Amino acid sequence: MLVLGIETATPQTSVAIGSEQGVVASALVSRAALDGPQHKSGAIYNEWLMPAIRFCLEGAGIGFRNIGGVAVSLGPGLYTGMRVGVATAKALAQALSVPIVGMASLDLLAYEVRYSPRPICAVLDGRRKEVFHAFYRPSPGGIQRMTEYTVERAEQLANGIASKPGEVLLVGNGALLYREIFEELGSSVEIGTMGHAFPRAAALVELALPRLYREDFDSLDGLKPLYLRHSAKRIQWERIRESRSA
Amino acid sequence: MDKDDWSFGESWRVEPSDPTWTGTQTAIKEQRVEEWDDETLVLGIETSCDETSASVVRGGRDILSNVIASQTELHGEYGGIVPEVAARAHVEALTPAIREALVRADATFWDLDAVAVTLGPGLIGSLLVGVAEAKAIASVLDIPFVGVNHLEAHIYSNFLGNYSAKWPAVVLVISGGHTMLVHARGHGDYEILGGTLDDAAGEAFDKVARFLGLDYPGGPEIDRLSLLGNPDAVRFPRSMVGEPGFDVSYSGLKTSVTNYVRRLEYEGNEINVADVAASFQQAVVDIEVAKTLAAVDHTMVDTLFLCGGVAANSGLRTGLEKACLDRSITLHVPPIELCTDNAAMVASCGTALLRRGIYTSLDAAPDPNLPLK
Ligand SMILES: [Zn+2]
Repeated sequence: MLVLGIETATPQTSVAIGSEQGVVASALVSRAALDGPQHKSGAIYNEWLMPAIRFCLEGAGIGFRNIGGVAVSLGPGLYTGMRVGVATAKALAQALSVPIVGMASLDLLAYEVRYSPRPICAVLDGRRKEVFHAFYRPSPGGIQRMTEYTVERAEQLANGIASKPGEVLLVGNGALLYREIFEELGSSVEIGTMGHAFPRAAALVELALPRLYREDFDSLDGLKPLYLRHSAKRIQWERIRESRSA
Repeated sequence: MDKDDWSFGESWRVEPSDPTWTGTQTAIKEQRVEEWDDETLVLGIETSCDETSASVVRGGRDILSNVIASQTELHGEYGGIVPEVAARAHVEALTPAIREALVRADATFWDLDAVAVTLGPGLIGSLLVGVAEAKAIASVLDIPFVGVNHLEAHIYSNFLGNYSAKWPAVVLVISGGHTMLVHARGHGDYEILGGTLDDAAGEAFDKVARFLGLDYPGGPEIDRLSLLGNPDAVRFPRSMVGEPGFDVSYSGLKTSVTNYVRRLEYEGNEINVADVAASFQQAVVDIEVAKTLAAVDHTMVDTLFLCGGVAANSGLRTGLEKACLDRSITLHVPPIELCTDNAAMVASCGTALLRRGIYTSLDAAPDPNLPLK
């Protein structure tokens, strides 16, 4: 089965098509290394995404009719990027009448470093001086998530790590962004390199395949991005209330 | 093409000249080049603000389905539209809305000839959801994707199911987001005569309603209360009426309403909310009717199109109906479900664009400030 994977939740974004034999086509762009607010916005991926998918189909010499399932990264990450990815994936699955599978961006990060003997903490920049994270432990053939998807300040995460014995591998652009805070924890903490800073669609395809084979699909209508912050509403509400009393 | 020509009598083609149609898809595309006639089926998608809508329109004029999922209740608790809340809701509501639109139209994806979507103006987070889905569907089906200007789509709401609507016309687009007068000479031939210098009319309604402690959305509440109040109770200013030009301004009117209410409160007098609402609404109606009639005189057309959410306002409808009757101007007002944001008007506008050979590349971005050209 050929699966189309879409990952647009972070400043590095990718599309991949693959089967159990491996990836047959992939496209990746990163705005992470570029300066300027326009490169930090997920909105820019709207322009890139559909042409990139068509590029991959053409490169692999196949058409949409060959796609048997759609996999999408649900975040956490950039809200706009997540929405563009999830909306695109939903419409593709709907128009193609194929199943859809959603995976967390943090799971993809941890999956790619699963051969580490250490427990893994996937950390993505959550902006507003916060990080998104979850802890994993390697398990036969994959990884096992040990904690809930969490959003908190890097200092809070560092305190949490310090309070527990043992070693940990931190991966993701959040770990790199707050490197100084995590390095203070000493040699029990190892920080993954830039090469593992972002989730990739290739890992998404690999992880989605077994789910598609055991028919562990997501509901098309129910699938939505993992925002992790419910407070956006509340923050806005408070702002409106303030402006009203002003 | 004749400006007035909606007959689809002659055949018309869309050539695959767009660079995104190259490569392995080209062969399929060439086979798909076909005649566009009054059987053309277009899926419309609208997510520019707080309504998630999908619609199937045949031949640009016949609505086969027009599904609208309103978020009004969702935003009600905040007393106004929260962009992040709207964007999140579109992601959840659009897929079922598209499915429902196809079911009601008794059509499948493969019956569609094109997909039209609002590219702007609107809330960027909301626009992105509709544009992403429209691109994906058009790409899978290998049919043209057409990005539509939301304001132009509002103009086309007058043509839906209404075969007597004819160019040229003056169009009053009046809603929570826009207030503008357009001289529409024909398909794609528009001149903006004027617009609001500050708040859109619907925005002014909502703000005054909020100040008066009325429920959200405030426009319909003021309209309802106006029927109970005296429109001549308070003489609020009609700013810019009688001045040259077709621009309007609502900040002065809003301020005088709040000043009036505060003064009564300060003096310890009771406030008749219905009278205030009726007098405010009358001021808005007087301003809009005066400017619209001036625009009709200026352009020397005999047709007026009213569209946008505030077109549902009974005071405005009555005011314009009376004025148009007096001057033998033909007034077209779409039914309420086509006045508010909907995808049928997007599909209709998209069909008209396709007929002129205009469609959009798959790398197009939505534009929150897309101007009407
Ligand atoms: Zn509108």
